Amino acid sequence: MKKQKKSQIQIGETIAVLFVFFILVTIGFIFYAKVIKGNIELEKDELSQLRSVGVAQRVMFMPEVQCSEDNVIIDNCIDILKLEAAKSLISEKELYYYDLLEFSDIKILQIYPEEAEWEIYSRKIDNFRNKFLTNVPISLYNPATRKHSFGVLAIETLSR
Amino acid sequence: MPNRKSQMEILGLAIVVVLILVATIFVVRFLVIKAPTNYRKGFISAELASNMLNTFLKTAAKDCSQLTMTELVQDCAQGRTIICENGQESCAYVELTAKSIFGQTLDKWNTDYEFLAYTDINSPLIKTGKRCPAEKRSKLFPIPISAATVYAKLDICG
Repeated sequence: MKKQKKSQIQIGETIAVLFVFFILVTIGFIFYAKVIKGNIELEKDELSQLRSVGVAQRVMFMPEVQCSEDNVIIDNCIDILKLEAAKSLISEKELYYYDLLEFSDIKILQIYPEEAEWEIYSRKIDNFRNKFLTNVPISLYNPATRKHSFGVLAIETLSR
Repeated sequence: MPNRKSQMEILGLAIVVVLILVATIFVVRFLVIKAPTNYRKGFISAELASNMLNTFLKTAAKDCSQLTMTELVQDCAQGRTIICENGQESCAYVELTAKSIFGQTLDKWNTDYEFLAYTDINSPLIKTGKRCPAEKRSKLFPIPISAATVYAKLDICG
């Protein structure tokens, strides 16, 4: 009778130890899952940022709007006269430009001498997760007057 | 006596547990939780100072016979012979235009900056914005004039 009681106590102890052990394992697993989830969110954010930088760089070096003189490309410059043609080309070949510019809104704002605005691409989504606005100062060249004005290339990228 | 021995054992166990906890916190802090990388900030600050200064210097002045800012800075450093249509001389005109353009861009984007044009850094010809207290991205643009070189410098803070 005494021996049976002792083994019952031992079984109880083992069950208690196993119970505590599984609680600890569960807490550890929950913590690990949270950390991993946080890291995935972080990687998603970084990926969105990289995509936004990629789109900004693609727009800055788009031959459709870039200035050139005697077939030599001028960096950091947009030809105002090319803008209208580029706009209609972009709306015509929507799919091709979607591959390049994804979900974004691209505007060119003239700051000086006068204020002006051109929208060259716009494809937005309502249920976006991240929204990045990148402003790049850019020279706006008017080939008719051969003068440069001060502008900003405003690139808003959206990601799900 | 056995009581003392068991106390020592418990103390040893406690030390082991504390060491394991410290190691776990260390592993979680430095290996599992990644520090976020701001790729956009790096790209923007790298582009901003150089693009801003290059673009500004190329820009044609609206009240100064469509001369570029570079030409006006050159005049400012060497004779101040140009008087713009609004009555301002080259130095004042460039400073006012810089204030206006940077006000509509850098100030609007909450970015601190300092713009200088100088032949001697201790006595700048043109100065707008305020000195960066700590980290900055800088772009220096040398402009040749007949006797020396005038430098246009833009510091973007942060």
